[in-house]
Amino acid sequence: MVRRLIGYLLTLWIVLTANFLLPRWLPGDPLSALLDPTSASYVYDAEVRAALAAYYGLDRPLLAQYGHYLSGALTGDLGRSIRLNRPVSGLIGAHLPWTLLLTLTALSLAAVLGLLGGALAGWRRGSSADKVLVTLSVVISNAPVYFVGTLLLIVFGARLRWLPLAGGRTPFATYPSLLDAARDIGRHLVLPALTLTLATMGSQFLLVRNSMVTVLGEDFMLVARAKGLSSGRLKWVHALRNALLPFVAHLAAHAGLVITGAVFIETLFNYPGMGRLIFEAVGARDYPVLQGAFLAVSTVVLGANLLADWVNQRLDPRLRHV
Amino acid sequence: MRSQRQPQPKHKRGALVFGLTLLASVILVAFAAPLLAPYDPHAFVGRPLERPSPTHRLGTNDVGQDILSELIHGARISLIVALGASVGTVALGTLVGAVAGYVGGWLDSLLMRGVDVMLILPRLPLLILLAAFLGTGLGQTVTVIALLFWPTTARIIRAQVQMVRRRGYVQMARGFGGGAFHILIRHILPEIGPLIASQLVMAAGRAVVLEAGLAFLGLGNPAAKSWGLMIRFALNLPGLLLTERWLWWLLPPGICITLLILALAYVGIGLEASLQPRLEGV
Amino acid sequence: MSALLSVRDLHVHFPAVGEHQTPAAAATRAVDGISFDLRAGETLAIVGETGSGKTTIGRALLGLHPPASVQGSIRLQGEELVGLDETGWRAVRWQRIAMAVQSAGTAFDPVYRIAAQIAEPLRVHLHLSAREADARAMALARRLGLTSRHLRAYPHQLSGGEKQRAMLAMALSCEPEVLIADEPTSGQDVLSRAQLVALLQAICCEQGTSLLLISHDLAAVAQLTERVVVLYAGKLIETGDAAEILASPRHPYTWGLLNAYPTMTTARDLRAIRGSLPDPSNPPMGCRFHPRCTQAVARCRVEEPLLARSTGVASGGERLIACHLGGLQALLEATALRKAFRANGQIGRRPADDGVEAVRDVDLVVWEGEVVAVVGETGSGKTTLGRLLVGQLVPDAGQVRFEAQDLFGLSTAARKRCYRRIQFIAQDPFDAISPRLSVGKVVREPLEVQGIGTDDERQARAREALDAVSLPTDEGFLGRRAHTLSGGQLQRVAIARALVLDPKLLVADEPVSMLDASEQARVINLLKDIQSARGMGLLIISHDLALVRKIADRILVMQQGRIVEAGPAGRVISAPQHAYTRALLGAAPAFDW
Repeated sequence: MVRRLIGYLLTLWIVLTANFLLPRWLPGDPLSALLDPTSASYVYDAEVRAALAAYYGLDRPLLAQYGHYLSGALTGDLGRSIRLNRPVSGLIGAHLPWTLLLTLTALSLAAVLGLLGGALAGWRRGSSADKVLVTLSVVISNAPVYFVGTLLLIVFGARLRWLPLAGGRTPFATYPSLLDAARDIGRHLVLPALTLTLATMGSQFLLVRNSMVTVLGEDFMLVARAKGLSSGRLKWVHALRNALLPFVAHLAAHAGLVITGAVFIETLFNYPGMGRLIFEAVGARDYPVLQGAFLAVSTVVLGANLLADWVNQRLDPRLRHV
Repeated sequence: MRSQRQPQPKHKRGALVFGLTLLASVILVAFAAPLLAPYDPHAFVGRPLERPSPTHRLGTNDVGQDILSELIHGARISLIVALGASVGTVALGTLVGAVAGYVGGWLDSLLMRGVDVMLILPRLPLLILLAAFLGTGLGQTVTVIALLFWPTTARIIRAQVQMVRRRGYVQMARGFGGGAFHILIRHILPEIGPLIASQLVMAAGRAVVLEAGLAFLGLGNPAAKSWGLMIRFALNLPGLLLTERWLWWLLPPGICITLLILALAYVGIGLEASLQPRLEGV
Repeated sequence: MSALLSVRDLHVHFPAVGEHQTPAAAATRAVDGISFDLRAGETLAIVGETGSGKTTIGRALLGLHPPASVQGSIRLQGEELVGLDETGWRAVRWQRIAMAVQSAGTAFDPVYRIAAQIAEPLRVHLHLSAREADARAMALARRLGLTSRHLRAYPHQLSGGEKQRAMLAMALSCEPEVLIADEPTSGQDVLSRAQLVALLQAICCEQGTSLLLISHDLAAVAQLTERVVVLYAGKLIETGDAAEILASPRHPYTWGLLNAYPTMTTARDLRAIRGSLPDPSNPPMGCRFHPRCTQAVARCRVEEPLLARSTGVASGGERLIACHLGGLQALLEATALRKAFRANGQIGRRPADDGVEAVRDVDLVVWEGEVVAVVGETGSGKTTLGRLLVGQLVPDAGQVRFEAQDLFGLSTAARKRCYRRIQFIAQDPFDAISPRLSVGKVVREPLEVQGIGTDDERQARAREALDAVSLPTDEGFLGRRAHTLSGGQLQRVAIARALVLDPKLLVADEPVSMLDASEQARVINLLKDIQSARGMGLLIISHDLALVRKIADRILVMQQGRIVEAGPAGRVISAPQHAYTRALLGAAPAFDW
């Protein structure tokens, strides 16, 4: 586990360094262009330009820039937004909770539904219900997430008017109680979370189903059956418990998929999370925000990987005692 | 009895046939686009936001371009990106994977650690970052996708090359004094050929999704109107969802993308199943 | 004794995978009409090669196959099990019939501790508390040589042998009436195998559990069990008292199986039964063993033999075999053979009747497909014996029976036909082959003598025979004179000449003694290969015990015209009974061991 941790720290360092080097090394010199009056992306606001010049320090040697960047990143100084002229760290602080709310909700929903559905489909492999579920999963997990989201939006938001069309909460609303706040935020969460759940559930379902089918063919399942155990015990205590291992191992990789989905969904639903922040920064070529968002998201994904590794080790004794 | 080699299940062959048919029709439409499309997709041929009519089967967009023509020409963009990005991805991945798998040793360790790091990174945010820095031409999009997604292929190819390398006939060929190049071309390439094919198909599907996604996020090339860009433009119109316009403006490109991705996915599933006939499931 | 478990006409057929249209046509007939009884407190072994259906039977006894695949009857204390639903089977499984599976390495759920898995059936079936179940699991595991460290471990932390012991503990936990142990000792070293089975039997005896041992190693299990059931390709082909089967197998397959496995005492090279197991979805017509059987007759190819009481067994134990011929046939049988040479031509004062008795009262059997070696010093009478057997000499007394016909009681014409099927290879090829004839003529000669085939056919058969002994078959070689060949080549020509009539028995008198050492090994291996491929009998007469032990199934030791010792090659070599045998062994070159 310590080796793993070192591995993740190393990866984090590579991410930080890549984030530093990419804009400086890429053709077209995008950072210098910000401060170059002859270029199209010249920043006209003098105050912002000064802040950028100070943050990037392009006139200093590369190593000094790197040192400045690293110490800044570690203390939370990620520069200032060109568009909003606000600290990037503050922007991320405001947006990240919304994304975490959305992704964690969708991830847990998808995990529970994918796990249960996959287990049952794998148990009854070959049945017509299994075939229908497999086909549906292939189709839904391959459709572009923003397209699925648009359709849900049209049906539940525009036509049926059950749920709000956009946003994370009702603008300018004041909540008499915490419960009302939760209800409002919850109503806004339903459609984006549902879309993200649908988009990521398919692959979880297929993974669990296939692991289940593999596990059911193992010798120890035959022995468990020979032991005269009930089908419930076979299914849940032995088969699913083992099918859980690849599922958890893939959960981390899933975090990346969910983040990807979240970027699109937040854009579509105008949801005030990281995806929306990235989308708006893209429109304004707001490089400090894009870089900061990339760092933040990478850190979250790395953390998710670390957590999944740890859970997997708890679940699989073969990984614990080597 | 369980370990007996099973013939390829029927529904897998069905998946392959279904996918290939669908893919072939998209390719056909792309090639015949100038013949099939009633108008130039960039020409302003009608009033803005016309409803579907005999002259404009799917109506016109907010600047008066024919939506059906946009849709037909959009197939070309998706396929160009799919082809370019998948070839780039798989070429890079195969090169790295084959070298790592064949040479082994410290070079293998180094390359694979790099692959591990790249696989952990959240690649869409990185893709967005790169696309934002590099600009939005089709070439840039293809390059960026290839640069970010080769590690998956590299890992799979490496495993296969390692397996083939240990086989008797490769050992024999080395014994005869066959050089690395000879062995790679003569013995290893034919063995990993089918795998490369399935990787190409998967990479193509991913490229279609990513291109459309980038276009949706505003990182598409306005000159190359893809299906993703059509969706972006449609959604840019305030209140689109509250009228019926989405039916002919948003739904068709969405369905087209979904069908193309599904076609590639099914071809991939079919190919993979024929590669691993013993694999149970799906 | 009444049967505890009674299996009658059990069929297990698996539908062909992928093809749902014609389930009956290409179904895999893994088990095809098997009946046997397991008596209370008894140990019964089911023996067969991989794919013979033995594991399928074990699983059928626990109802682990899809119900549609299983037909016939399985009765446990009179109660029918075939046709039970899952709930019904659940009450049988582990409490009444338990199984220790072959693949103990993968038989444990990798995510739970061993102790929990042994205790699991105790808690589920006997509703013991966690503590009681653990205590009982612990006690049982201790007896099988496991410690609490093993029980606390996860499956991947145990060795293969430890997992096997844990598997047995798990199987015995509910004190079942029947324990099926599928290759329970395959992961153990040789020494602990016997100990483990003995321990298993002791525990079963205390618990009142009957043991059904499934194994591929007939020789090993026969020493541990009371009765043996031998399977071949889903069919029961021989059953009876274990010790007797081991001592005198009756079915050609059982005999082959016993010969196929090396034991610690065998110095002989490993030999396999020729051919391979048939495709279970398309078994051969008639007797399933006939394509591999050395004694198959026309009837074997069309009619399936039924299980019947075997005739050739002396003891009172019940022996059933499925063979049209009633079991292993004696190819050549000599009884009370005598031959003396009169000293007429010699100068001296001996009376005319005072001859040298070269062969005195020799009894000898060569079974179908068997390699028998007669070993003795020069002058022991072994060459005379060989010449008697192939009809070059007429015995003074006694009988030689070939394929159940008394050779010397036959008409000349009938005897000629018989000798076509017995061929002789002499010690000295330079003497046995005319140096002036061409190779082609030499090899064709027997066909010409017997008047078989046209010239072209003779030529073709000669080529085939030369090919079998790895000699060239081109015109140039066929035209070469015998005197231009080396000793080894000439001996091969002699073997080819013997093979050209497609004999049933080859008698070889010192076939390699004239050759140099490397040729000796090559020719002796060639003889063995030909014998194995063609399913012939082979009788080798030699002075060289070290050489024949490599290929002989049985060895007879001859001294002064008498057989002084006879037995399986391994036994004769490792535990010689007669002083003369020991002397011969002592004379063998030491480095050869």
